[in-house]
Amino acid sequence: MSDERLRALWQVLLPGSSLFAVAIVGLLLGSYWQYVIAIALGAAVVGGALAMLVGYARCITLATGAMLAIGAYGAALPVVHLGAPFLAALIFATILGALAGLTLAIPGVRFRSHNLAMVTFVFQAVVIIVLRESKALTGGAEGIHVPPPVIFGFSFSSDAHFLLLCGILFALAMLPIAILLAGPFGKNLRAIAANENAARAFGIDVRRYLIAAFTWSSAVIAFAGAVDAPRFRIIDPDSYGLITSIFTLTYPIIGGMGSIWGGLIGGGILRLFPELLRPLADYIELVLCVLVVATLTFFPDGLASAVLMLRRRGPHKPLAEGAARRDSRITKAAPLSSATLQPNEAANRAGENPVLAIERVSRSYGALRAVDGVSLAVERGALHGLMGPNGAGKTTLFNLVSGFASPESGRVMLGGTLLDDIPIERRITLGITRTFQHAAVFQRLSCLDNVVIGLGRNTVTDGTRRSLAAALDADSSRAEREAGYAALEAVGLAQRAPDAAGALSLGDQRRLEIARAIVSRPRIVLLDEPVSGVSAEEANRLHALLLSINRELGIAMLVIEHNIGFLVSLCQSISVMSEGKIIAEGVGPAMVDDPRVRRVYFGEHETTG
Amino acid sequence: MLAEFVMNVIGGLKIGAIYSLAALGIVVIYKATRIVNFAHGAFVLAGAYATYGVVEALGAGYWPAYVLVPLATGLLAAVVEFAILRPIRRADIFALITSTIFIGIGLSEFYRLIQNTEMLGVPNPVSGRPIFLGDVIITKEQIWVFAGALLSALIGVVIFGYAPLGRGLRAVAANPRGAVLCGYSIDSMNAMAWFLGGALAGLAGVFAAPSQGVSPELAISMITAGFVAAVIGGFDSLRGALFGGFILGVAQTLAAAYISSAMANAVSFLLLFAVLMWRPEGLFPEAKIRDV
Amino acid sequence: MMLEVSNLRVGSGGRVRVDGLDLALPERGCVALLGPNGAGKTTSVEAIAGLIPKAAGSVMLDGRDITNLSASSVARRGLALVPQWRELFVSFSVEETLLAGSNAARDRTPVSTESVYDLFPRLGERRKQLAGSLSGGEQQMLAIGRALMTSPKAMLLDEPSAGLAVGIVRSFVEAVKRVRDSGVAILLVEQNLEIAAALAESCIVLAAGRVVWRGSALAATTNEEIRQAYFM
Repeated sequence: MSDERLRALWQVLLPGSSLFAVAIVGLLLGSYWQYVIAIALGAAVVGGALAMLVGYARCITLATGAMLAIGAYGAALPVVHLGAPFLAALIFATILGALAGLTLAIPGVRFRSHNLAMVTFVFQAVVIIVLRESKALTGGAEGIHVPPPVIFGFSFSSDAHFLLLCGILFALAMLPIAILLAGPFGKNLRAIAANENAARAFGIDVRRYLIAAFTWSSAVIAFAGAVDAPRFRIIDPDSYGLITSIFTLTYPIIGGMGSIWGGLIGGGILRLFPELLRPLADYIELVLCVLVVATLTFFPDGLASAVLMLRRRGPHKPLAEGAARRDSRITKAAPLSSATLQPNEAANRAGENPVLAIERVSRSYGALRAVDGVSLAVERGALHGLMGPNGAGKTTLFNLVSGFASPESGRVMLGGTLLDDIPIERRITLGITRTFQHAAVFQRLSCLDNVVIGLGRNTVTDGTRRSLAAALDADSSRAEREAGYAALEAVGLAQRAPDAAGALSLGDQRRLEIARAIVSRPRIVLLDEPVSGVSAEEANRLHALLLSINRELGIAMLVIEHNIGFLVSLCQSISVMSEGKIIAEGVGPAMVDDPRVRRVYFGEHETTG
Repeated sequence: MLAEFVMNVIGGLKIGAIYSLAALGIVVIYKATRIVNFAHGAFVLAGAYATYGVVEALGAGYWPAYVLVPLATGLLAAVVEFAILRPIRRADIFALITSTIFIGIGLSEFYRLIQNTEMLGVPNPVSGRPIFLGDVIITKEQIWVFAGALLSALIGVVIFGYAPLGRGLRAVAANPRGAVLCGYSIDSMNAMAWFLGGALAGLAGVFAAPSQGVSPELAISMITAGFVAAVIGGFDSLRGALFGGFILGVAQTLAAAYISSAMANAVSFLLLFAVLMWRPEGLFPEAKIRDV
Repeated sequence: MMLEVSNLRVGSGGRVRVDGLDLALPERGCVALLGPNGAGKTTSVEAIAGLIPKAAGSVMLDGRDITNLSASSVARRGLALVPQWRELFVSFSVEETLLAGSNAARDRTPVSTESVYDLFPRLGERRKQLAGSLSGGEQQMLAIGRALMTSPKAMLLDEPSAGLAVGIVRSFVEAVKRVRDSGVAILLVEQNLEIAAALAESCIVLAAGRVVWRGSALAATTNEEIRQAYFM
């Protein structure tokens, strides 16, 4: 097995295996420790699940207690009332948890931040109320007694047996989470947390991803609740209340938001605090609150991440073989026509000229007519500029074309396909990408990851499938990574591939955006002020870069810029907008002498002198 | 029958007035600083504890309480904003919201540690024979709490809407850059908003203490009720928060009287959910896709 | 000199956006700051007003150093900025907007709202109207009015004619003249050379963050070099 494959498998198996290993170690200790460690393992699993939802996707959930309860009761009730076998009940409880997550998320992910927190809060409260009131079924507020798990006739009633069972089951539970978080699914979640608009522009359906994250994590949390319940002997609704939900949040926050380990270690250790620090039991909760607030203030990525960050500065992540060779040759941007970034014949076929046709499009915001009957066409492979004073409507036009706003009248055609009803997330598959006015890279992801997202294979199904494939076969993502490297190389950033995008200078971030926008070989890229805020030399380099991309890959570009010299020398044709309308259209340097253009920039000749 | 109904409504109005006051504080803070203060219930609790301190421990009686307690809780809130939230402001919204959650829990824990286990009590501020209107019995305490809380809330609304201080808070909320050009310091206004919000919470605590008791559970019940009331009222509106509080109070009391106490509990959440689902435009707007 | 800016630099390292800007604004004077989009005009003005940090240089208002003051302090000292996007309060009425502006004058001699209504009668007719429902021209007047309420010694006007209909521009120019004549020094950022010439005695042309030309406003309008500078 190659080094790569081993590493990928290891990354995915390690979290679960370490839980199992801890369980084995615990078997060597006394009965009290076995009890305590079993509890801690359960909390570690919850922490790992929350790493997905809270750490990666940065959602605030106050429903963890309810999910634990659903798992606990979901497994206990069939056993107690129906005599069901433990494993069957466990599966049932997990499915119930998944359904609960789905039920919560489908209406909930309409919202973000505090609204989402409140929806989870409602869910939490209602579940507990229902459990408390359904006396006949659940025993109400007094709770019910849960017998030890019985599997194939064997009763896991002793501490040691139970710990072993926990070790095995929890190792299994971590598997799906580890697979998803290590692969593109996890990266896409982090992209969502970093910049939702950019994520959507590259094919990531935010709502579906969040629903998936809720579903997976709720299922795993319910699983943990179901496994732990027999240990507690008696379960009652109030042990799964709001306070539980709030304190499970401490696992990923203090443990570390950036990785599954943060949640695991955070959960394991923080759950042990009350046990280990018996004399301070009363103060534990207060100390935890202080710790959380301190962590959020000083280490927004959690303590474990602060430690891991130091580790990451060491040897870079291993490069693919081919890329390593390529890397050592690079001093500046290599020629574009490398094997994996050929001009897309498919994109250039069938004429489809013009590639972008904007026909009499209008859009108002209140009384302001931001775009007023604008028509514009970009030919296949052409470079078209868009300029105009501030407030002329240029960015609104971009938003209309990229799907972030919809036209009130008129239509936008991409090579013969009507764009109007197509959601933002699907536009990349049609061959249109964009950059943003304020470099919208995914700050915490590596440059390579940023560009790979640009490939656009980012539906939830794709993300899940690719993550599974990546775990089983490290080679499966080779093609993507090579395409990513090629794009980075084309913009001169190949040596920064493993670095976090947030560490780049503004000019380099703009290059990264360009790489991300071209890697999918689109038909047209919308560039929103690609050189704003960069130095003159950098602007010249970007100018050359865009020209060569256009020449060698045949990608059309529609460019908004205030730097008129840049625009005029880059674009074959230019449209000038003012007050929502196109007031002039022409070719290159002659534009600056056009009286209409001068009026827009200099003012009327007939005003007071 | 009718008398019973009327008495329930009056009871609902009384508790509703307290909810309104709590919700008002949440909305003031939100409107001025765009932070949803999950610690608000803990501020109300602080007010209740302070009331106990002034009325029982110091034996100073109620009148000083109505003045000192809001000052104290206002100060507490301003300190929280200054010392904790301001540094975190630079981080993302996740950190801000989570911090307020944990500050709230932390404060409640803190009080519990100080006070140990018993529920503390404060006497009623007014006593005497109840008023009889036919079959309807209205206690003086009900009138006092209703009128007092409502009056306090109205004063809060007036300050926010018409006083120079309120103008500054609203200016900073409407357009921070524009407010700065008018000489308003964002930092000072933020602290003032939290002071005002905290003071309103403290007053809610003073009015709540006699009938709701002084214990950490008050924090959770007040934050829940405060939120629901604020959400019902459309979150971005002070008047809405007032109405929301009364609607919630009456709905809860009627549910407790005619259905069950569990239902009363559930009412707040059901109302919250219903408003979130079917009138989301009435809610505090989240970061929209504007300047893409 | 009412306002003196010396050697202003904004930005550092690879991203210097303004470098070496000097300007002097006499009392009752008007200086225009011209240049193409992206030249750094708005950046300069925002830095002078304290909205963005300065890498180097100093700003003196009426002889006192305001270089390191926060933007709200600068406003309270008497340097008013009417920004490019006006930054009004959408839900405030005209009257309330003016009162908000008076906050900056609280430690000095206040300005009455009547004097602003006198200058802009159209605002006087719309005292209770919400700022968000005013026309573009009226909003511009309100923004200037709000700045006047801060009792300024000097005013920075950033592209005030942007988006104004031609008919309004004339009356607007008259209003700004009256403000200047009442003793407020004005630094006018404009792209429209004609308007700049109508109001300012002298002007400074910025390109790529540096001063490329100084002279009288009239000379600027006829200078072909300057026109070319706009399309570098």
